[in-house]
Amino acid sequence: MDDNTKNPMTEPLPDEPKHVEVKAAILLVLIGVLVAAFVLYVMYARGVFEPTQRLTLVADDSSGVIPGMDMTFAGFPIGRVAQVELGDDAKVNIAVDVQSKDAKWLRTSSVFTLESSIVGETRLRAYTGVLTDPPLAPNSTRTVLRGDATAEIPRIVATARALLENLETMTASESDINASLANLSAVTGRMSGRYGVLGGALGGDAEAQKLMEALDRVNALLGKADQRVFGKAGVMDDTQAAVRQLDVVLKDASNTLKKVDAVLVEAQAVGANTRAATEDLGALRGEVDASLRKVNRLVEEINRKWPFARAPQEIKLP
Amino acid sequence: MPRTIKPIAHPDLWLATLARYLRSWWYMIHLGAIAVVTALSPSTWRRDSFRATARHIHTSTWQVLSWFALASSLVSLVIIRIVLVTAKSYGLSGFALEMVVRVLVLELIPLSAALFVALRAGMAFDASALGLARAGLAPRAASNEALRRLRRDLVPQLIANAIAVLSLAMVTSIVVLVLAYVNVYGLSIWGLQDYTRTVGRVFAPSVTAGFVIKTVLFGLAVALIPTAAILELQRYPRRLASTVQPGALRLLFVLIVIEAASLTLKYI
Repeated sequence: MDDNTKNPMTEPLPDEPKHVEVKAAILLVLIGVLVAAFVLYVMYARGVFEPTQRLTLVADDSSGVIPGMDMTFAGFPIGRVAQVELGDDAKVNIAVDVQSKDAKWLRTSSVFTLESSIVGETRLRAYTGVLTDPPLAPNSTRTVLRGDATAEIPRIVATARALLENLETMTASESDINASLANLSAVTGRMSGRYGVLGGALGGDAEAQKLMEALDRVNALLGKADQRVFGKAGVMDDTQAAVRQLDVVLKDASNTLKKVDAVLVEAQAVGANTRAATEDLGALRGEVDASLRKVNRLVEEINRKWPFARAPQEIKLP
Repeated sequence: MPRTIKPIAHPDLWLATLARYLRSWWYMIHLGAIAVVTALSPSTWRRDSFRATARHIHTSTWQVLSWFALASSLVSLVIIRIVLVTAKSYGLSGFALEMVVRVLVLELIPLSAALFVALRAGMAFDASALGLARAGLAPRAASNEALRRLRRDLVPQLIANAIAVLSLAMVTSIVVLVLAYVNVYGLSIWGLQDYTRTVGRVFAPSVTAGFVIKTVLFGLAVALIPTAAILELQRYPRRLASTVQPGALRLLFVLIVIEAASLTLKYI
């Protein structure tokens, strides 16, 4: 660099605008302030200045979970994922920084879910059912429940395919449903005929007509029967008279039976006497037997002592 | 070496062409290193030296900042509306804001600021330098001239251009962030917390660092490449073959490489 006394750098050019240095300085300061403000804003937006407490969520699968994503409670972001790491037990540990001012919403009974939808980002949510439970302690570890809409898709597709096949079978031209519908159509067609449901049920108007005629005859028959049975001098009147007579007969029979009863009592007494008599008859018989033997001996004595020869005639005992 | 025959037709010249090409790149990088070191040395920021820098800053930034901010805000407003309306029609309005911030603030605005400054600075330098180049100084003298210009013009210009890119990108980004907020939430402060979280999600530390580094590299490339090309032209005046502004293609190439690298690092 030449050591010249008139430095061209400090020498103002003829066409130079006024206050160049001041403007440049203002600009530099302004840009500096802007950059600093922007950096501070981004740091604030990243939650650098917020006091937080750590919560570790344990999941099976970390897909969709990225550091910086929000954890929401009732739709409000209350925490950020700080770190996602694979633990020694092959589980994913998701470290979440929960803002201390929002930590009150998390209780020991809170449930955490990780939901992936088909479109859009994965969502990490917290649910607290009982807000009176004790608050969740810092550095807690909780299991996260995973609800994955996309994981359900293959199952849904398989089910839907089976369903569609069934539907196809059902709607084919020779399917049972079609045949049933055709029958139903024939039946309803008949039902719309002159005899309505009756025609439908019986298979035609002719049959229905026969049934109607039969019903008419039955009706007439019933009218006649009614007259004969319940009319004047009908069967019912005769029956009533017969019943009255029967009542008298039954009363007589009852009296007769009472008499028979008395006779039976008598007969019973006779029977009892007879039994006593037959008991005496045994002794009597013994005595008769003894008398007979004595008579026998007496006859034999007579026969021996009687001077007459033995007559052929014998004493006949009764 | 007749200029009319392309080097590709002479296999024996391929090596020489490659060497010249590499030397040219090396010259540019070397010059850039010298310029950065000079810019960081305290003597540049002394009052007498600052005057030249201030002149350049005034030209490259002060004069154009408001107009550039206005023009790019209008274009951004159109893009914001398009993105919001499209996202809404697909039922994805929740992602529109993030997309606006990512596309506009992180990618489009720094690139357009760099291209704008390059165009302006390149044209300004070209007009003043071409006369020197055509004078056809001897290599030694050209080298001295280069050094002198380096001290007097290049370093202030480099600082000014880098600051210009940074300023234009920064101011426009902030205007666009405000425009995006107003477009999404209207003139209400109740979306501020939600918006802040969205911005916080976009500007992860790596993304923010990438944004700053990219902007600074854009500034350096814009400041350095046309200047290096012109100074090289002074050393080899016979290479003034094309009517294309010296270094323009190389600058475009470098800007694309920086942008592509930034995108690759961010999204792959």
